[in-house]
Amino acid sequence: MAFEPPLCYILLALFMTYALILTYKTLVARDLVKAIIYSAGQAVAYTLALVMMAAPDLVLAYVAVGVGMYTALFLFVVSRTERYEQEKIERGVEESG
Amino acid sequence: MDAFWNVFLWGYIYSTVIAIIALTVYGMATRPHLVKKLILLSILSDTANLLAVMIGMRKGFIKPPVFPGISYTNHPVANTTQLAKFADTAVDPVPQVLVVTAIVIGLAVLVFLGYVLILLYQKYGTLDVRLLEAKITGKGGKK
Repeated sequence: MAFEPPLCYILLALFMTYALILTYKTLVARDLVKAIIYSAGQAVAYTLALVMMAAPDLVLAYVAVGVGMYTALFLFVVSRTERYEQEKIERGVEESG
Repeated sequence: MDAFWNVFLWGYIYSTVIAIIALTVYGMATRPHLVKKLILLSILSDTANLLAVMIGMRKGFIKPPVFPGISYTNHPVANTTQLAKFADTAVDPVPQVLVVTAIVIGLAVLVFLGYVLILLYQKYGTLDVRLLEAKITGKGGKK
């Protein structure tokens, strides 16, 4: 790779920080489409981290699976089911429904 | 300066990996929606794969594990000097080979779980685990 050892380790730490922030935003998002988009951004950060770790074959496999297939699968599941996650459920749901 | 790269930077990188694993396990235990649990499961499996690749990478080992100068028609016998130089600069290829298989198997598992979630929603009309508990067991889901 074109990056010498100090620079590539600093960039690896930067991309892992980016993935940590996006994982937290995925965890706290109530809208599931927003959570899926944050998860795709986290997959981009992991792809760049794999470039820094000198694994070009893994980059070719993971950028198709992580960014493309995961996002398409989750959007398909959300389009067939419900979109919003509720913080608390209201009282009396099990009697009426 | 060398101790800085060894201790602080590698400690920070491994700490972010451990923090992401902790966040995903916490989210899978506490978030009530099943699609959110599925997204966090995908992040957890990718983090495990990334940790396996990261173990095979050591300080100063930064070249891809491909021996230079080898092609289909030109394959000279390498001497020990070339092999020692290659082994001094390349990362460990064994975790990368294992992780290629693990990525594809994780994708198959997630497709199966997504289909199970669609069937659950068609049968019960919700994907919230509190409402699912109330509908499946017949008792109140909240105390």
